[in-house]
Amino acid sequence: MVSGDELNIKMKKNNSTKKEQQFWAYTFLFFPLMLLTIFLFIPILFSFIISFFDWELMAAHQKFAGLNNYVEIFRDKIFYKAMLNTVLYTIGVVPIQTMLALFLAFVMNQKIRGRSFFRTAFYIPAVTSSVVTSIIFVAIYSKEGLLNSLLGNLGIQANDWLTNPKTALISIMMLNIWTTSGYFMVSFLAGLQNIPDSLYEAAKLEGATQRQQFWHITVPMVRPVTYFVVVMSLIGCFQVFDQVFVMSDGGPNNATTTMSYYVYQNGFRYFRLGYGAAAAIVLAGIIMTVTVIQKKYFPPNPY
Amino acid sequence: MRAIKIQKIILLTILSLVAMVYLGPFIFSVIVSFSDNKNLINQPGQIVNSGWTLRNYIYIWKDLPFATWLFNSVIITVCQTITNVFFSALAGFTFAKLEFRGKNLIFGAMMASLMIPGIILIIPKFMLINELRMINSYPGLILPGMVSVVNIFLMKQFFETMPKDLEKAALIDGCNYFQMFWKVFIPNSKPALAAVAIYTFQGTWNEFLWPLIATNTGEMFTLPVGMASLRYELLTDWPAIMAGTILVSIPTLLIFVIFQRYFVQGIASTGGKE
Amino acid sequence: MVKNTLKYILLASSLALITSCVKDKANTIRFSSWQSNPSEKRLTDSLLHCFVIRYPEYKVKFELIPGNYSEKIQLMLGTHSAPQVFYIKDFVAPSYLRYDVLQPLDEYIDKDTTFDKDDFYPQFLNAFTKNGKIYGLPKDFGCFVLFYNEDMFKATGLSDPPKDWAELEEFSRKLTKDTNGDGKIDQYGIVIEPSIDKLIPFVFQNMGSFQDKDGNLTLNTPEFQGALEYYYGLYKKNIAIIPSEVSMNNTEEVFGRKRAAMVISGGWFVPQLKDQYKDVNYKVAYLPKGKQMATIAFTVSYSSPKENPLKEESWKLLSYLTGKEGMKVWTSTGIAMPTRKSVAAQLDYINHPEYKFFMGSVDFAKIFQVDYNERWYSITQSAMQAIFYEKADIPQKLKQMENDIKSLRIKN
Repeated sequence: MVSGDELNIKMKKNNSTKKEQQFWAYTFLFFPLMLLTIFLFIPILFSFIISFFDWELMAAHQKFAGLNNYVEIFRDKIFYKAMLNTVLYTIGVVPIQTMLALFLAFVMNQKIRGRSFFRTAFYIPAVTSSVVTSIIFVAIYSKEGLLNSLLGNLGIQANDWLTNPKTALISIMMLNIWTTSGYFMVSFLAGLQNIPDSLYEAAKLEGATQRQQFWHITVPMVRPVTYFVVVMSLIGCFQVFDQVFVMSDGGPNNATTTMSYYVYQNGFRYFRLGYGAAAAIVLAGIIMTVTVIQKKYFPPNPY
Repeated sequence: MRAIKIQKIILLTILSLVAMVYLGPFIFSVIVSFSDNKNLINQPGQIVNSGWTLRNYIYIWKDLPFATWLFNSVIITVCQTITNVFFSALAGFTFAKLEFRGKNLIFGAMMASLMIPGIILIIPKFMLINELRMINSYPGLILPGMVSVVNIFLMKQFFETMPKDLEKAALIDGCNYFQMFWKVFIPNSKPALAAVAIYTFQGTWNEFLWPLIATNTGEMFTLPVGMASLRYELLTDWPAIMAGTILVSIPTLLIFVIFQRYFVQGIASTGGKE
Repeated sequence: MVKNTLKYILLASSLALITSCVKDKANTIRFSSWQSNPSEKRLTDSLLHCFVIRYPEYKVKFELIPGNYSEKIQLMLGTHSAPQVFYIKDFVAPSYLRYDVLQPLDEYIDKDTTFDKDDFYPQFLNAFTKNGKIYGLPKDFGCFVLFYNEDMFKATGLSDPPKDWAELEEFSRKLTKDTNGDGKIDQYGIVIEPSIDKLIPFVFQNMGSFQDKDGNLTLNTPEFQGALEYYYGLYKKNIAIIPSEVSMNNTEEVFGRKRAAMVISGGWFVPQLKDQYKDVNYKVAYLPKGKQMATIAFTVSYSSPKENPLKEESWKLLSYLTGKEGMKVWTSTGIAMPTRKSVAAQLDYINHPEYKFFMGSVDFAKIFQVDYNERWYSITQSAMQAIFYEKADIPQKLKQMENDIKSLRIKN
């Protein structure tokens, strides 16, 4: 039972801590926010502004274009193809990647022989730069490459994975899952450390199996990290660029043109920065919508 | 007893197979890097016939400005890793545990900024750095990446999983918020800090587009840019390319191996949890 | 709080100190080119060295640009931080000429009595000319020729290269064979690729073109279609191979690794053949004749930005590099052909067993430039890929291409 005196003390503490919290918050955030403003928010603002112009880097004067860029985007066949590719890519990669990462982290958290070795093995793809893994995989995916040799032993016919419009996108998806599942395993491993062993012990005493422990203890407790991984995964997938740039240049026939690549193509290759910026804003809008919906149906902190 | 043993063996086998899939391409490139057969990459079956050599590694280290690029990469990466770990913890703590005016707005803006494809920001960033006369210099390469929203987000989420009692205990002990941050939360966040360190180190080490744009001369290249500049020099000299890329990958791998022990320690029973 | 502020001040001041130390010398000429093979880089270095020896009062800094050259140059031109002298490929020149960012060189050319601009072959200079003003000086040129494997020809009983389209097809058929008796074809007559660059010489040979004098598209014409159908036909009839089907990156590699008896390439292939594919007994010939002789020429200019604090110095470097002396040094190694008639005569390339095909092609070589936004290239690439990989209908694709590219016309 809380006495009246204790309540008074608590209320006083709350009022003073509020001002105190504000002071500390602004102090702590000063430097990081300043950096972010200069190198992140201002460039974003710049991009937003030029999306309303026919902005060409080398032109002496920029023409105001109003909403023309946006209208043109929604009329462009390739834009829709890029959007479709990106959506397919995301739907394919995010769930698999997240579950794989969590599963790997869970297994890696157990006392298994050679744990450090396995952990490192799973993380290695994430360590190599995407430019490099893309180069390696171009060789592996080629008609006389490693993949076809292996599949040939299983009796599966050889295929040029990257130049076949039907398999090009999936090939890059596989590559991405391979690289980033280990990457997110790291996040989950960090989160798993916060789950007290006592919970698992208590469950074991009550006869829970590994699987039950996983679904009823691990998954709920690690929810904020899962939220982080899913959001970062979504964002990463919507922005996938490096692999496309190195491996397929958006081809064949736009089969692997993703939205980020579309932005790059139009902004840089076609010298139309304003249009590229508009595409970037549209892409951002789509991602934001998806994230908001996701937050509604999968809130990070239900407790 | 036997049932558990068989289960363990099955698990190990499955894990080994999966590990093979993950390690396979990497192992393949290591093999190619030590080979003297330039066409090995197209004819993997030729492994048995090919000779081995250290020539590729020696070539990369001696004949190319590898050491300069390495030096640049190290400086930039170490700086950015330290600042990121510190500031993301600080900011993450702020968003997780403090209440202040504008909190949701600022955090919302930060999350929204993640949605913008980074590509399009390269140009305005270049223009800014150009105005500051920092093109082709260390500040130009370090400053833009000193803080990152992703890391702040990660730390925030992590701090939110930490028990509220820690906070209350610290307040009762008379700590101000900086002391609480520094003396209570940081020591208990080693896994997350390790994650941030690993992510930042790796991200900066492998960063390609920004150092490419922001440098003009070979002396300022970082490793990925330097390796790219050799694309025509090495053309289809795959063994040399592989040797170079493996050398570039080693530091990030080492960082991971070093920091991963923090994942092994759990939070020992902290006061007030049970 | 105080501790933090002090930390910030220290950081800021040290940054300022570092920045001030990193400053370029004010009167150094910055020169940029793209990535090229090591021998070309060495030659560039020595040429610049010659310049500095000749004019010791000048300093030159060679800034090689890795990665995507065009985007970096664009960026630098747009932010007034471009090098004083840099390369521009003829293919993309229209994109730069569209804007007012390059320095017109006429006043310098006219003032310099030794420069002699009429010494240049006209089409190369015209590639960088707009509205009568010259914006770049062509440093050298290359063009498409036919490379063929003499051993493979002899083994098939052929002594001469194909003279025209009919012979090209016939020879390709004869040269496509299973050389080791395993039932699979290992050698193809010719290697081609599904890209507009390699198709366009055939179009010109067929009296077609990409656009007419006024810049209107001429893709949906019988001449263009005829060329495309002939070109694709080689692949369809299985007497031509494309690089991806043998897991290689480009047509040169396929020829170098002896999977094809013929390839269309340019002078840049020669050093590679000598270096990497030493065991290929190759010979050079003119491209086979269609309804007329035609080939594509490539040239690169040295240009200068309009915003340039070192205009006089830049001109000195430009005029040296493309002057009679500089060009002679550069092209005497055969790395590329001279764009000056006098230098070509001096080096007597017209009588050189190999180079004569390049020099001889000048008469019927065209520069390929279009007046459409760069996106036209992706559109044609997609169309070509659809035709080769998905067996798309050619007339339909041509109509679609013309429709899609039409709206990309660059307004002048």
